[in-house]
Amino acid sequence: MNRTTKRLTERIFLYFAVIIILISVLVPFAWMISGSFKTRLEIQASDSKIAGKEPSWIPRNFTLVNYKTVNKEVKIFDYFKNSIIISLGTMFFSVVIATLAAYAISRFSFPGRTAYSISVLSTQMFPGILFLIPYFVMFIWIRKIIGLPMRDTYWGMIFTYTSFSLPFSIWMLRGYLNTIPREIDEQAQIDGCSKAGALFRVIIPLARPGIAAVGIYGFVMAWNEVLFASVLTGNETTTVAIGILRYITAQEARWGGMMAACILVSLPVLIFFTVLQKQFVQGLVAGATKG
Amino acid sequence: MHLFIQKIKKNRIAYYLIIPALICMILVHILPMLWGFIISFSDLDLYTISDWSKAPFIGIGNYLEGLDINSPTGGRFLRSLWNITYYGIAVISIGYFIGLGVALILNQEFIGRTIVRGLILLPYIIPDSVAYSVWRFMFQARIGIVNKYLLSWGLISETKVWLVGDKSIYAVMVASIWKGWPFTCLILLAGLQTIPFELYDAAKIDGASIWQQFRYITFPLLMPITSVLLLLSTLWNFNAFNQFYVMLGDDPGVAAEVPSTLILREAFNSFHYGIGAAMSVILMAIMLIFSILYIKKIRPGEVEH
Repeated sequence: MNRTTKRLTERIFLYFAVIIILISVLVPFAWMISGSFKTRLEIQASDSKIAGKEPSWIPRNFTLVNYKTVNKEVKIFDYFKNSIIISLGTMFFSVVIATLAAYAISRFSFPGRTAYSISVLSTQMFPGILFLIPYFVMFIWIRKIIGLPMRDTYWGMIFTYTSFSLPFSIWMLRGYLNTIPREIDEQAQIDGCSKAGALFRVIIPLARPGIAAVGIYGFVMAWNEVLFASVLTGNETTTVAIGILRYITAQEARWGGMMAACILVSLPVLIFFTVLQKQFVQGLVAGATKG
Repeated sequence: MHLFIQKIKKNRIAYYLIIPALICMILVHILPMLWGFIISFSDLDLYTISDWSKAPFIGIGNYLEGLDINSPTGGRFLRSLWNITYYGIAVISIGYFIGLGVALILNQEFIGRTIVRGLILLPYIIPDSVAYSVWRFMFQARIGIVNKYLLSWGLISETKVWLVGDKSIYAVMVASIWKGWPFTCLILLAGLQTIPFELYDAAKIDGASIWQQFRYITFPLLMPITSVLLLLSTLWNFNAFNQFYVMLGDDPGVAAEVPSTLILREAFNSFHYGIGAAMSVILMAIMLIFSILYIKKIRPGEVEH
């Protein structure tokens, strides 16, 4: 009896904690959704100090106007297209390049490995702002010398973001690969796989959750990036991360439109993530150690 | 020597595997870094930007101005270094404890666990500009939801202006913690899952309490991933830009100025590329100290099992 009571209290405490966690995670989302259905007048007229006029969770005058006019003053759909192209490109290249490099660091004790690992780790430490100015100067210079446009082009941005996501991707994937027992690929080699063959036949399937994580990281990183996008993109390549800020100008604050755009901009990452989350939760390491 | 060459030959494949990553790193990190170093000694401005090599060489002039507490630029730069440190300590430590706590909770069995695990990642997965735009909306003085609750709970008596002035850095901290802890939690959860159940089973048979299991199994086995996590958070933190730029605009004000926002304005609004580059180099020097300490601790060359 005593034992069941104890277990019951534990359960109640657990669910209570889970509910608190969920509320604190979800409040801003609720506010975003609620704001996107409010009229501009309602948002501007609300006032926390005046009873009856406080900002409310349920829109007083429910409206879809923010969604209907989302592309009217800010060309968010164009920014959307740009972001999709740049993010998918970044994801693809960083997954491929990071998997190869991480495998090399994790499984080969080649001369120069320590130096290389340290340099991967150190590039991670340099703040992006450090590269921004020389990078900008370099873009201008390359254009002048070779006539190759880098600024405000898709591939210029993909190249930039891929390189930014690489150090962390390599580092994380190396961590994942290190948790896969070496005995597994040694076994594969005994069974007749080459070292490269072991990568494709054994390691990549086992490291799927890690690779998925790297892919998500690359995509999200490119979709999110603000600093370089604010300097290196122009009319042709403005990404959503920058575009979304254009709803608030010195002249007017279109909060409703901004919240509607926020929801639209979040959708691709959310859908993409939901599809790949299985890979995440699958728990690669548990599978490997059990098997 | 012969042995060394043989070792290189034996590991030929490894070099092919790292070449693509190496090229990206050289072009985007190493060359610009050296370039930035050179620029930091020149008076590069709007007139010389089209050909950087024509900019006059001024030695350490940019550094002297950037670190002079009495000059307006230098004063703001030093303040921004203090601000980012203060902000970083708060955000990283609070974020880590929340992340660890939630990871331990989500590692338990309960109904709907998979859904909850997905939901807590929402803040991490949504774009920074979205998250911080929403928080900017929430922190609005008159029309925001934060003041509404603080007023109704009696914690404040007047609507507070959060996004301008002294308080603004706290508003950004709250938003950053909300955005950042799920990532910490995700990584720690992955770490928890690498701990074999057998260890806990054995501990239970030996009569270990929940605290003892945490103290002697969970915590030590999470240490490697924790140190990588703290390293990365520290390094990323010095890079913090999005939250300040989105919530407070390109000039966040003295109290919430951080190096990134200052350097960006100095270079691309005032067109003092040279001073901006010098500030970047100073920032890098600080990070170098941190990362050497950490690299020594992590020792990436060692083979881990």
